[in-house]
Amino acid sequence: MASFTLRGNGEMNLERKVEILSESAKYDVSCSSSGSKRKNTKGGIGNGAYSGICHSWSEDGRCISLLKILYTNYCIYDCVYCVNRHSNDIPRAAFTPEELAELTINFYRRNYIEGLFLSSGIIKNPDYTMEQLIKAMRLLRESKGFNGYIHVKAIPGADNRLISLAGQYADRMSVNIELPTGRSLSMLAPQKNKSSIIGSMGLISTRIKEVREERKTFKRVLPFVPAGQSTQLIVGATPDDDLHILNLTQGLYGRFGLKRVYYSAYVPVNTQSSLLPAIASPPMVRENRLYQADWLLRFYGFKAEEILDEKHPNLDLNLDPKSDWALRNLHLFPVEVNKADYEMLLRVPGIGVISARKILAARRVKALTFDGLSRIGVVLKRARHFITCQGKYYGERGLNEELIRLSITNTKRSFTQASNQLTFFTEEFLGC
Amino acid sequence: MIVYIYDGTFPGLLTAVYEAFYQKEKPGQILKEWDYSQNLFSQPIYISSDNGKADKVFNAIKERISFTALKNVYYAFLSETDNGDTLIYNYLKLGFKMGKYVDGNHSHETVSRLHEICKKVAREKHRMLGLIRFRLIRGDVYYASMEPDHNVIALIAPHFARRMSDQNWIIHDIKRKTAIVYNQTEWVMTDLEITQALPIDEEEYLYQKVWKTYFDKIAIRERKNPRLQKSFIPSRYWKHLVEI
Repeated sequence: MASFTLRGNGEMNLERKVEILSESAKYDVSCSSSGSKRKNTKGGIGNGAYSGICHSWSEDGRCISLLKILYTNYCIYDCVYCVNRHSNDIPRAAFTPEELAELTINFYRRNYIEGLFLSSGIIKNPDYTMEQLIKAMRLLRESKGFNGYIHVKAIPGADNRLISLAGQYADRMSVNIELPTGRSLSMLAPQKNKSSIIGSMGLISTRIKEVREERKTFKRVLPFVPAGQSTQLIVGATPDDDLHILNLTQGLYGRFGLKRVYYSAYVPVNTQSSLLPAIASPPMVRENRLYQADWLLRFYGFKAEEILDEKHPNLDLNLDPKSDWALRNLHLFPVEVNKADYEMLLRVPGIGVISARKILAARRVKALTFDGLSRIGVVLKRARHFITCQGKYYGERGLNEELIRLSITNTKRSFTQASNQLTFFTEEFLGC
Repeated sequence: MIVYIYDGTFPGLLTAVYEAFYQKEKPGQILKEWDYSQNLFSQPIYISSDNGKADKVFNAIKERISFTALKNVYYAFLSETDNGDTLIYNYLKLGFKMGKYVDGNHSHETVSRLHEICKKVAREKHRMLGLIRFRLIRGDVYYASMEPDHNVIALIAPHFARRMSDQNWIIHDIKRKTAIVYNQTEWVMTDLEITQALPIDEEEYLYQKVWKTYFDKIAIRERKNPRLQKSFIPSRYWKHLVEI
């Protein structure tokens, strides 16, 4: 790679820089500002809000809680799916650490944001890039006394010491897995490699555990990435099925203790490449079903193997994964709502975590009736087929799978199955 | 039907509850004085606020029911819902019978309705933490205006006092003509009505412009969904935002 210098952007005004660098940052979908207990300091500004706070919602319906921006969108890599790829002819810009810090503080003072989400294109090499991000964070934290939320990307391949240093200034750190298999990564982003991504994730996860342990005895030890680690997967850019994605997700939560896995429906930004599917619009329903399945793993006690298997490798687009599972396991139903344990209540379609807890509390007072359930917030349209209430059944007689499925599916719109998506991938891609 | 009328303050409400417990003839309704209109069927009794009695009820709720119930009652009061005060009274009657288990009684209509209005207030409080927009006015003061459905201004003040501790700020509830004023040391609540335009600092225009640019560019065009956006911020909140 030829030697590289950041061209002076002193002439470009702040508005134009923000225009370019936020346009380039928006495909990193994480918007979380939660998990930080950071307190303000004397003379400082800002603190964390543990539950996170949404400040606005953009036109695509997504929450805005952070200033999500690239330090620079110059990049030496040429990843096929990325809008900032080296070979794309787009306007490029770069901040100075001072500019970025000033902007963040001023937005923060006006209560536009909870904090900063900082990523970058790769300039010179991963280490140099990581150093620039650290410079900006250090300026914010130490010179400006900023105690608000910072989510910083770890540049895969950067030196372990740099990643460890960055984690001292950030609340959350993430490295994007980007693609579900090493094979697709090497096809679509040949300059990134799977082992450096996994290596960085492992380092962050280990360091988080270490520091947490150390802080139990030595309060003086500075927190390291207190709001945890997350990652992102692009969905629909490769022929990988949901079974594969869900298994990968389960593995990531298990192995690295991640807070979140984000799924980003593939948006065709580079239409010239034959390696990418030619789709008309991003697979948003599929993305939504994956998030629902992700919730089942994290909050409902499900294992990936229960939701999908070799015979059903993709999530049903027309029905949520929990209802789909219940219909394939009708032998477990109906359950008596006044007797079933918490784990089984969670498995009933229409009963969520909050309703399940309320049911447990309410039935200690007196036996629940069907009307009582609706006051609690149970979605009876679905739940009634799977429960009895004081012995009475209010659902589809005979527990007939077809009839129940018809009754609970959203019949206003219907979606073609994910398996058809294979036809979008060219011979060239599939043959390799 | 006996109707208790009180002055609309929280201690006033607690005093009315006190009286209701010790009088032989119980009220069917409790109303604020400006919500009451004379009619054939009601017999009004005016209750004057008494801090001593209010304190007794305050402590009784905390000790004999729970701290959660006390918070619920306060939030329900701030909601300014129609017939909210009568609902609070009915909830407390149940609460003094059931003790701390009253809030677990989710299938009871009074309890679930009271929880519903508390949740509305809690949700709006949280929403305001995000939607308040400060503007720098000349004289180094950050000013924000809002028109919340419920009276949440005192609930959000501590958050901003902790967070924006090194700047002077004002949060102004335009509807209720009240404001919180913070001077980098402490905050106070006061009445405020502004009739002229405020002198905006020069720097303010730059940052508003940059924010609007950011707001436009951060949306993914292929996922445009204004209905979804509106479901998160109903249009009645747009007036005091900068970006929409």
